[in-house]
Amino acid sequence: MARVGIEPRPLRLADAALAAWIAILAGVTVYGAATTTGFLTVSNMKAILTAASFVGIIAVGLTVIVLSGNLFSLALGQTAAISAMVFLYSLRWGLAAAILLTLVLGLAIGAAQGFVVGAWGANPIIVTIGAAGLMEGMAVWLSHGQSIVPPVDQTSWEHLANPVLGLPAPVYVFIVVTVLLAVVMARTRFGRQIYLLGENRVAARAAALPITLLTVGAFGIASLYTAGSGVLIGATSANASLLLVGSYTYDAIAAALVGGNAVTGGRGSIARTAAGAIFIATISDMLLLRGYSTGAQILVRGIIVVVVVVLTNLRERSR
Amino acid sequence: MEELSKSFGPVHAVRGLSLDVRAGEVHAVCGHNGAGKSTLVKTLVGLVRPDEGVIRFEGQELSLRNPQDAQSHGIALVNQELSLVPELSVEDNIYLGGLDVPLVYRRRRLSENARAVLDQLGLRHVQLGTAVEALSIGERQLVEIARLLVRDARLLILDEPTATLSKPEIERVFRATRDLVAQGRSVIFVSHRLDEVFELCDRVTVLRDGRRVATHEIHEIDRRSLIEHMLGEMEGAKAMGAHEHTDAGSGEAVVRIEGLTVPGSVASVSLTLESGVITGLAGQVGSGTSTILRALGGLVPTATGTVEVHGKPVLLNTPRRAVAAGVLYVPNDRQREGLFLGQTAERNLTVSRLRRLSRLGVLLRRRVRRTARELATMAGVSVERLGSPAASLSGGNQQKVLLGRALQLEGTALLALDEPTRGVDVGGRAEIHNLVREAARKGTAVIFSSTELDEVLDLADVVVTIFHGRIVSVVPRAEASAPAILADMTTSHASDGGVPS
Repeated sequence: MARVGIEPRPLRLADAALAAWIAILAGVTVYGAATTTGFLTVSNMKAILTAASFVGIIAVGLTVIVLSGNLFSLALGQTAAISAMVFLYSLRWGLAAAILLTLVLGLAIGAAQGFVVGAWGANPIIVTIGAAGLMEGMAVWLSHGQSIVPPVDQTSWEHLANPVLGLPAPVYVFIVVTVLLAVVMARTRFGRQIYLLGENRVAARAAALPITLLTVGAFGIASLYTAGSGVLIGATSANASLLLVGSYTYDAIAAALVGGNAVTGGRGSIARTAAGAIFIATISDMLLLRGYSTGAQILVRGIIVVVVVVLTNLRERSR
Repeated sequence: MEELSKSFGPVHAVRGLSLDVRAGEVHAVCGHNGAGKSTLVKTLVGLVRPDEGVIRFEGQELSLRNPQDAQSHGIALVNQELSLVPELSVEDNIYLGGLDVPLVYRRRRLSENARAVLDQLGLRHVQLGTAVEALSIGERQLVEIARLLVRDARLLILDEPTATLSKPEIERVFRATRDLVAQGRSVIFVSHRLDEVFELCDRVTVLRDGRRVATHEIHEIDRRSLIEHMLGEMEGAKAMGAHEHTDAGSGEAVVRIEGLTVPGSVASVSLTLESGVITGLAGQVGSGTSTILRALGGLVPTATGTVEVHGKPVLLNTPRRAVAAGVLYVPNDRQREGLFLGQTAERNLTVSRLRRLSRLGVLLRRRVRRTARELATMAGVSVERLGSPAASLSGGNQQKVLLGRALQLEGTALLALDEPTRGVDVGGRAEIHNLVREAARKGTAVIFSSTELDEVLDLADVVVTIFHGRIVSVVPRAEASAPAILADMTTSHASDGGVPS
């Protein structure tokens, strides 16, 4: 039996490789920081944090799905986009009502997907692709394919995009919701059970954990956070259409992966994902400042994700 | 007369064992679990290399490196789990992976050859082009044999070939086996089922603790002495008076099981389980004991029948319902279904009682820690190990963690322990038995399954023997004897015996 033994685990090759990779990334970042003009300025730091916060909020929410062993949601971009649309449209009933409505809708969309996955054992990838298609269709149908803009007599939403004490509001939201979720995952029964479910679904069933409820919760939280990000995206761009779908889904997944969360579930943390989101934003920013094209940025991000995923996987397997 | 003998030195499972199989005979190998049957089989087909000793086959000393090697010398194993590809045709399966299939496929010659072998096995009605998935399990078994025959296997090893077969299918396999030995081939027949040994075999060798106890012509020996050989007279006598059993049973019926049936596995099992009484289900692997416990734990959705806990009927179709009704199932496969291996021992110990360790959904960390310490101490797991992943614990400690999580849980009416000491050494086993007794002493009803006779006799207050999904006997511990139970475990008294499938 490979897993039996009481001596402490020796440092394996995969651990060493991961450590080396982290060292290389840190080195490149420090080198880049020192040699890139304009990188080490307060305004650039703000730009990095702002860029990280929209994706970061989505990514930390997604982490609950990853930890629960349900892979990913591929409906995040769509959820963010229609949340932005719903938010801007419903501003006519007041800011508070608009935020509340958007968040409740996001929660419901995610909970429904979680129910299908948890209660019927459906594949989360397929369910969320289906949900993404449904949402796009609904959005086009209801908006007649037009962009949604906020009502002219309403300006209250602008607070959501404006700086507070020198930093844009989304940065604060990112920090608060990340800390909140980190506490939930570490300190609550729900969080503990999510980790157990992700570690071993078969054992979770035998141990009578509430699998359906947990899965509904995981997808609900991910979707709620995505809707929250959608509110901020809508407020920032003051114009919402399906064009906002963009690459939020893949960026959020990349952040969770680069943070080193186990794709198979059970191992990882909210903090890791937040770090992953900030790291990706940092690298993208640096490449941008050095004048690389968007293509190069995407390429570099892809390489980082692939290497981290391979190394984390090797490491998990050798445990 | 060809003769093959083998002996090998102090491997864990097998010590200085020698065995000779004659050409043209069916030679049975019997023995209780852990007697060394599978090690013997693995050695013969090159899956395990002996530390000492040699295999002589047809006058030639063999040093087998792998199953292909064994096959090229004419020794082949028919496995319990079939290795056919369901989607491919019978003929393709027969030649799949064959060493001497030429690169240029000479279809006609190969087809004729396959046809001849199938006919010889009584599969005249099976077309070469039929997909294997369209065949019955018994026919597949025969195709598997055909596959070995085209490779000119002269020593065939059948390892529990009948475990999944129906009566007529068993007949067919037996007929084919007799034909094979009539042609001068040899067959080693490994089986738990003594009836079949007497029906089919010419000689029988009994293994116990990795040694050969006896080899007899089949007509020289009767069932009784065969069982005595398997048990060892001394062992059997010792086991009978080994442990003091307190009559802790309050006589209060906690759980009533009526007509529990699982298609293909369990046939109408009815039992009453009393508070404080440990009921042991004795049965061979595949006899249905494990399925009975899984059904009680809510893990078998196809189970029918009624189960009453404290007089209230409960629907046990999900584990959550079972737990809510007070039935706690502890799985036998601790790595796959029992533990959360990557999570700490503390998390594993507390998984079933998180509700009581939290307030408004927030975990009370000090209470979690204290409870985990208490359970670890009770289960005999070092408290220092609580922070380590369950995967890093030894097998015995993993089992204790798994059991520990079921201890002292309020509202538990019945503990259902599936092979509670699987893969645990003797010392750990005694500790686990004490834990189970302790739980029973506190008034919980306990039911456990075991394929090991010693364990059943050691731990159970009531011994229920299961064969082929049915209850064969229910005997209070005081009246139970090892030979009688082993006889029940290996034959059904009722002649029909079968399970509806």
